[in-house]
Amino acid sequence: MKFDISYTFDAIPRLLEGAFITIQVAILGFTLSVLLATIITIARTSLRSKILNFIIAFYISFIRGTPILVQIFLIYYVLPVFGLNLGPFTAGILAITLNSAAFVTEILRGGLASVPVGQFEAAKSLGISGFALWRKIILPQTFITSIPPLVNEFTMVLKATALLSLITVVELMRVSQQIYSANYHPVEVLSGTFIIYFLMCFVVSRSSAFLEKRLKVKRA
Amino acid sequence: MKSIFLEIKELNKKFGPINALKNVSLNISQGEVICIIGPSGCGKSTLLRAINWLTPPDSGMVKLEGKIIGSENGKLSIEQSKLLNDFRARMGMVFQQFNVWPHLNVLENVIKAQIVVAKRSREVAEPKAIKILSDVGLKDKIDEWPDNLSGGQKQRLAIARSLAMDPVLMLLDEPTSALDPELVGEVLSVLRNLVNEGMTMLIVTHELGFASKFGDRIVFMDGGEIIEEGAPNIILKSPKTDRLKLFLEKLDITSLKEKH
Repeated sequence: MKFDISYTFDAIPRLLEGAFITIQVAILGFTLSVLLATIITIARTSLRSKILNFIIAFYISFIRGTPILVQIFLIYYVLPVFGLNLGPFTAGILAITLNSAAFVTEILRGGLASVPVGQFEAAKSLGISGFALWRKIILPQTFITSIPPLVNEFTMVLKATALLSLITVVELMRVSQQIYSANYHPVEVLSGTFIIYFLMCFVVSRSSAFLEKRLKVKRA
Repeated sequence: MKSIFLEIKELNKKFGPINALKNVSLNISQGEVICIIGPSGCGKSTLLRAINWLTPPDSGMVKLEGKIIGSENGKLSIEQSKLLNDFRARMGMVFQQFNVWPHLNVLENVIKAQIVVAKRSREVAEPKAIKILSDVGLKDKIDEWPDNLSGGQKQRLAIARSLAMDPVLMLLDEPTSALDPELVGEVLSVLRNLVNEGMTMLIVTHELGFASKFGDRIVFMDGGEIIEEGAPNIILKSPKTDRLKLFLEKLDITSLKEKH
């Protein structure tokens, strides 16, 4: 069987539609995970509750210690048993969010550790406290130092969305499977899929250098 | 006799087995400049930090203009923590390590608390910030980022940031200790202006020259206690206790060594 590139070209419009869903899932899942991780980080630092910290630590080690595919299946197949029937798209987003949030929490822990205690104290001594202290003073500094690992985590999320094809989310990988199971030309179709994934991740990881440069130039 | 502006009464603070503050009491009148000296670890920084509750005291109390800052038992109700923020906004604090905010430019450093805490509009906060920054000699640096400033400039920025909240009292924790010797002068001259404007100040310092010239009173602390206090010329020239004598001798020796 010889490689016929016309099958690749024919597949591209539909693959791009799938890629559009992939991007949506990745952005939505990652944004929610950053939000969740930020809340966890603030709660962990300011409440200093032993029970809460134990739950957070357990959650993180659970996520990090199990394959993401199992987590996706767990949410998609097991939650309905308890009466919670999420569609594949919602279940997929939820799985991605819960998985990524654990890693983002660890990233933010590192970023936060690089903010000196004096930054909190200076703000408190001026009467800035509570959420304003985090939003105006601490989080901006935490996120600036966390840009490279956060961008890296986003590429991980982008790639992990391919696993959602297994719970019938019609994203890039699923579309690709649909096309080659109809035309029996997996090599050509998967080559196109491969290149689209690569280009998406390439653009994202380049943006890290761009963002870092922009913020550093602003400050240096 | 002037009325008491800041009243510090029987403050105690322990860090594990160490007494950082042991029954410290001090009364300060408006406009007074108090310089706190003593060996490192003697509790002088803890005293400043206990006043604005960055380090809550275990017991004792601090009153500003007759009103209790924080509480008397080391714990805060929700109502009391709200009040604490108002007190803190009225007491400027300057740190040894400057603690300027690196993610905000010079102007924003001075504007931020005005907007967030004092609820001023940007139209009010910005001209005020520019005025204060020119007072401390940083007018041409307003668009600069803190990372690009020298230590002396950072400390002047930190002072400006506090002054923008119209403090009635300034707490300065070794404001010149982290500076290169040639940069100490510019910060001291800003402080001198504050003294001349009649600002009430508590300064933890090793600059005995500054303390004797501008301090109304010098407080010597050791082991978490106030050992001696009084006018600079009396305290520095004729110390009553051996501990202060020893401390001053050590300082003299170090300053002599630095000259050679």
